[in-house]
Amino acid sequence: MGHEEQLKDIPRIQKVVSVLWPSFLTAGVATILFFTAFDPVDLGMLLGVEQLERLEAYSIGFFLFWMLTSTSCALTCYFRKPCDEFNRGQGHQR
Amino acid sequence: MSQKTTNAPDEVQAEIYKKREKIYPREVHGMFARLRVAAVLALLGLYYVIPWLHWNGQQLVLFDLPARKFHIFGLTFWPQDFFFLAMLLVVAALALFLFTTLAGRLWCGYACPQTVWTEVFLWIERRIEGDRPRQMKLDKAPWSARKLAIKGGKHVVWILFSLWTGFTFVGYFTPIHELAVKLLHLQTGPWETFWILFYGFATYGNAGWMREQVCIYMCPYARFQSAMFDRNTLVISYDEGRGEPRGSRKRDEDYKAKGLGDCIDCTLCVQVCPTGIDIRDGLQYQCIGCAACVDVCDQVMDKMGYPKGLIRYTTENAMQGKGTRVLRPRIVIYSIILLIIAAGLVYGLATRVPMQLDVMRDRNALYRETATGLTENVYTLRLINMEDVAHRFVLTAEGLEGLRLVADQDVFEVPGGAVVTLPVRVQVDPVHLETASSEIRFTASALDKPELHRSQTARFLGPVTR
Ligand code: SF4
Ligand code: SF4
Repeated sequence: MGHEEQLKDIPRIQKVVSVLWPSFLTAGVATILFFTAFDPVDLGMLLGVEQLERLEAYSIGFFLFWMLTSTSCALTCYFRKPCDEFNRGQGHQR
Repeated sequence: MSQKTTNAPDEVQAEIYKKREKIYPREVHGMFARLRVAAVLALLGLYYVIPWLHWNGQQLVLFDLPARKFHIFGLTFWPQDFFFLAMLLVVAALALFLFTTLAGRLWCGYACPQTVWTEVFLWIERRIEGDRPRQMKLDKAPWSARKLAIKGGKHVVWILFSLWTGFTFVGYFTPIHELAVKLLHLQTGPWETFWILFYGFATYGNAGWMREQVCIYMCPYARFQSAMFDRNTLVISYDEGRGEPRGSRKRDEDYKAKGLGDCIDCTLCVQVCPTGIDIRDGLQYQCIGCAACVDVCDQVMDKMGYPKGLIRYTTENAMQGKGTRVLRPRIVIYSIILLIIAAGLVYGLATRVPMQLDVMRDRNALYRETATGLTENVYTLRLINMEDVAHRFVLTAEGLEGLRLVADQDVFEVPGGAVVTLPVRVQVDPVHLETASSEIRFTASALDKPELHRSQTARFLGPVTR
């Protein structure tokens, strides 16, 4: 079996997991590094936000990072699609 | 239209609905099963109990995120101590490498949270639904009130257990006593609630539903562990030479005469496998090394009156009749690196000075001249007392002849875990200045603890008079 057919054979769960999970891990690392370096309370003061809960800032920061990383994971998958699939989709035949 | 296009929707459907075969691992008893239960009890016991322990009025282990302080066994770490955390992670990773090279996937079989929690969920499932044949029968049966009650009951217990797990998890990051009180009054903050539910849901999903798929699709360790394996690594393996050709036989039949090996092909090793593989096909990436097949096969061998160990912990070399070497270059190198870094970490912790001194020059003026003709620089000092008890500090400065330090107080107290900023002025007679910019050195030392002191250099600017 060629690599491409094997790719299509990947169970759906593996596809979903391969986008959401690595991005979760990298987002976690990014969150830790970012908030180790910057205290959200200091950041809030710079931005003029007074009442800022740290836990809230960490959580929101994490989800922003996760959005970013999962988007790039998803785009990677999207661009890995074999060209043939586009040709077929447009009704062309080889 | 081509054949392919017409089939496409079906293919897509088939793909979406291509479900994994549900695995019903059969319950095992035996030496390794007992070891795993012991490991599960010990690890989960630690997990659920540790956040409740206190030491000197302080939660023993608390990664206090809202306060940006980690309390670990009486030590308090600040974001400035990040280096120690990084080193600790390196040590943990190296230890895992070393361990894997020596003993294969022992971690997976006995200590991984995924294994440990799955084991608990399986136990609950067996208590409620019954053993493997009954679970399979129940799943095949049409929906009825009884089935609904059994399945519903299982999920309720799973969910309650997961929620408790999630609560404990959050209790590692915010003080658990306060969290418990808030929870009892249903007053947990929105994000605390969210993370309790999030971690609870992750536990429920991973241990209840995903199970072996976590190991196969999500676990990074499972993906790269084979890179650390060599021919002397302890693995679980089926003795093909002894077992084959497999086949069923009567208990006291002379199977050797029939040309059969020791494997009676009862498929029990497949039925107990939590990842649903057949170890007789050889070592596979999916095998988490749980030794369930070893336990069950040994029982079968006992019943048949054959020697144990048709499936056993062994090494590739031993399997082929060669000796197993424990001390290989790889092991030695891993051990040396591990020892060096661990020693560095211990040294770093032992000599860590739990305070921090930052010096910032006043940005508004380079220097000014006092009424008495001295050159004066203004600084802001920031002193962090990283310990949980208050200390009294004195401040000194040196580096220039006749240097005078002017501060509001001579001795100032910094409460435990507090940050104090104080403006200070440094005055020097300009005749002692040789260059426009000289280095001076501030030192803050605790009066009540001689080893607690820190120095920081700063620039002193002035006119050049010579
Ligand atoms: S494969 Fe990964 S998730 Fe599964 S038991 Fe091993 S370490 Fe844990
Ligand atoms: S093959 Fe044996 S050791 Fe490996 S996962 Fe299955 S039961 Fe466990």
